[in-house]
Amino acid sequence: MNQKTTKVKEKPKPFLLPAYCKGCGRCIAACVKGCITPGSKINPHTGLVPVDLNLEACTSCGLCVIACPEPYGLRLAPSEGTEGVQGDFVLEDPAKLFGPRASGAPKPEPIPDQVIPLPECEPLVTKGTYASAIGAILAGCRHVYGYPITPSTEGAELMAKYQPLLDGVFFQAVSEVATVNFMYGTGGAGLPCITYTSSPGFSLMLEGISYMIGSEVPAVFVNVMRGGPGLGNIAPEQADIKLMCRGLGHGNTHCIVLAPSTPQEMLDLTMKAFELTFKYRNPVLIAADGYLGQMTGMVRMPKSMRKPGIPDWAVYGDRSHRGNLICSICLSEVDLEKHNQRICAKYEAMRKNEQLADLYQCEDAEILLVASNTPSRMAKGAVAALRSQWVKAGLFRPMTLWPFPVDYLKPLLKKIKHIVVVEASAGQLEDEMRLAFSKADIRDYPPIHHVQRMGGVLPQQSEIVDKVLSLREVRP
Amino acid sequence: MTEHRAGMGSFYGKFERHAGGAGIKGNSTHYCPGCGHGLAHKYLAEAIAELGVQDRTVAVSPVGCSVFLYYYMDVGNTQAAHGRAPAVALGHKLANPESIVVSYQGDGDLASIGLAEIVSTAQAGIPVTVIFINNAIYGMTGGQMAPTTLMGMKTTTSPHGRSPMTGQPMKVAELMAGLDGPIYVERVALFNAKERMRAKAAIKKAVSLQVEGKGFGFVEVLAECPTHLKLSPLDSIKWVQEKMLPVFPLGVKKDAQPAGGFKTFTPSFDQKKVTEIVTGGHSGKAPTFSRKFPDHIAPKDVALKLAGSGGDGAQTAALLITRAGINEGYDATHIPSYGPESRGGTSYADVHIADGEVLSPASPAPHVLVAFNQPSLEKFGPTVQPGGTIIYDSSVVVGRPTFEGKKVYGVPFAQIAKDLGKLVVKNIVALGALQAATDILPKDSFLAAVRMELRSKAALIPLNEKAFEAGVKAVKS
Repeated sequence: MNQKTTKVKEKPKPFLLPAYCKGCGRCIAACVKGCITPGSKINPHTGLVPVDLNLEACTSCGLCVIACPEPYGLRLAPSEGTEGVQGDFVLEDPAKLFGPRASGAPKPEPIPDQVIPLPECEPLVTKGTYASAIGAILAGCRHVYGYPITPSTEGAELMAKYQPLLDGVFFQAVSEVATVNFMYGTGGAGLPCITYTSSPGFSLMLEGISYMIGSEVPAVFVNVMRGGPGLGNIAPEQADIKLMCRGLGHGNTHCIVLAPSTPQEMLDLTMKAFELTFKYRNPVLIAADGYLGQMTGMVRMPKSMRKPGIPDWAVYGDRSHRGNLICSICLSEVDLEKHNQRICAKYEAMRKNEQLADLYQCEDAEILLVASNTPSRMAKGAVAALRSQWVKAGLFRPMTLWPFPVDYLKPLLKKIKHIVVVEASAGQLEDEMRLAFSKADIRDYPPIHHVQRMGGVLPQQSEIVDKVLSLREVRP
Repeated sequence: MTEHRAGMGSFYGKFERHAGGAGIKGNSTHYCPGCGHGLAHKYLAEAIAELGVQDRTVAVSPVGCSVFLYYYMDVGNTQAAHGRAPAVALGHKLANPESIVVSYQGDGDLASIGLAEIVSTAQAGIPVTVIFINNAIYGMTGGQMAPTTLMGMKTTTSPHGRSPMTGQPMKVAELMAGLDGPIYVERVALFNAKERMRAKAAIKKAVSLQVEGKGFGFVEVLAECPTHLKLSPLDSIKWVQEKMLPVFPLGVKKDAQPAGGFKTFTPSFDQKKVTEIVTGGHSGKAPTFSRKFPDHIAPKDVALKLAGSGGDGAQTAALLITRAGINEGYDATHIPSYGPESRGGTSYADVHIADGEVLSPASPAPHVLVAFNQPSLEKFGPTVQPGGTIIYDSSVVVGRPTFEGKKVYGVPFAQIAKDLGKLVVKNIVALGALQAATDILPKDSFLAAVRMELRSKAALIPLNEKAFEAGVKAVKS
């Protein structure tokens, strides 16, 4: 012990900046010594009446501080001599009074993805949903959420089998509504996640998708479309094209919609979807159909897989990302308009940069079939059959339904005498094409015909051929 | 300086998100005088600071008056859709198991629109913390009836008083305690110093259970809403004590031993492991036997249909044909189609093998039909192309059907399989018959595909090989 007498430090007493007191009076009853009384003076900054403090009898018990609901309301007073504590209160930053906070999260640095080369493999023989699940795993996705719904459940089932082997997560949600919100959490944490669903399930996810778009959260949704409306059936339709291209919940929403037509593309486009969803911080949708999900075929493995990093904007739950916020709220009209303009600028960039289409025998085509997903395969068969009858047919296959790949279609239009849209819906693909023509200011296009089947009946090759041959200029 | 920060917890030094942090709003909440939210915020902020987990914490803001929790808490913040905060919280926890995730919700959010999410998240028992503010009314939307509104209580949507037609006030803490998932459930209040101390301790305990990785903690806080109760702050405190307390008794509702089901994990990106899993372990080269495409059936693209009932094995046989075709270097596809029943309904498979690319994968007019029963034969027999081949199970088909211009083989798939001791191999008998009748691919192609398919059940290979040979023999004899 040294010689100095230790001065017993006086316990701090409560201190109140009147502007931060709303006068609720909880502290009045909390103080057993009666130090706090209802105020009588209206605070000019707030229009409220703060309590009055008379601390002569105060024992520094702190109960009043615990009773105060305001973070910067009743507090234990700073050490003696701190400037500004006594005298008239001037509204200013309490940091000046109480010292700077020890908080200050650092500026987050993005951790980049790693690309890991894969060895050469024999092609897999697998079905569409499985191929997509494998693509997701190779894209670095270790978080899968889902709710069983035919005909998409195989995706969830394979993930339930594989993810635990990779210490990844497959979690069966209580509904599609919960599913999309699991994805909002994991995507918001900056990690890749995916779900497999089918039309009615996808409908349920729309609120969450709107939130994700507004909050700029990435995630990949595989919608294995089935027959609607309502419960409809479990057979393949393309009846959600409108929903996916035009109806993603409330607000000015768009997502890139990829449309595979083979098990191979289910893998390739799933991997592409992860790249795009992080590139734009916007969900990406894969429009598949019941046939494609169930179809088994040859699938070649890609040359590399990815280990995801963590983006700088993520709310990962660590020190580096502590300052971040995932949120779609913009209370000020001006701010929300700006936010919308920014999001719309992203849509514009997607329109410009991300159109994808496959052109089959289009070079000299006079009859252009337009089809996507499984119907495009029937259309491809029809092109071959028509060519064998000397009809110059070609297939234009949009691989992005939104943005519609009009830039690839435009140069073909000069030679084309007829367009025949082949689809398993009541013209939803055709509407996308017509709207794309209109937006691209294409006014001079050939007559548009269609082969439309619904309810799970797919357009067959023979009826496509018949339709084309029924056009006047075609039949020899 | 630490003593000066007592009570500041993990709040932001300045509430930049609250109207840009200008003026009073920079250090003042948006809550009405007398509102209970501020206290719950404060106890949570203190718990986070005292437990030293500010850097690891993610707070999930709900929809309702506490929607702006993220204005105040200096932690990672996410704002969720109405009622969905527990699902969002779980999404965060599973993304980073080291993070400390708190879902903060009001009674409309949690006990009405978000019931499915809170019940299922609680039942999962994964360590997250839920703070539930029960003030018996909807605040943000302007004083409507909540699931926790008391009987007879007047709100804007129960202007004549809550009637029994709308049910009784929901006792959420008791509901949570009745689930197996949560390990700690307590209902606390804010109306006097003693209860506030308890509330503060309960919130800290719920967070600490997560920090220790023990389990799901739930704290229901009875809070005051003077604005919508149309009472003064002090009267609303009295109201909670007098009116709410009898309906919502305070106390620990559950304090159980942790089940220990949750362990933190780090996903693997090991290339070898990933390759092994996604290729199903057979990434090696398959042997080839075919010397030329079966253009005696069709020049570029052979279409097959296999049709029967669920359980006949039509889909497996179709897969084997597809696999054999791909192993031989051709493109091949298989599309199944069945009724909604898992067993006993119709089960059809369309298969294509193509030199180059399979264009249309459907087989509305197949070159080859394999029919496992009478209805399938009658339905699809007529669709087979002229000159095509039909193979049917003569042990179930009555009579000897003929189809003009088509080669028809009746082979007793089921009888042969039964004689071999296992009815389920009738599809392999059919495969043998298909090979012998069409020579679509060499025998060895099919046998290699069968062996590949059964690599994990090697004991079944000899029986399947026998079945295949028996099918071949039945056609040849």
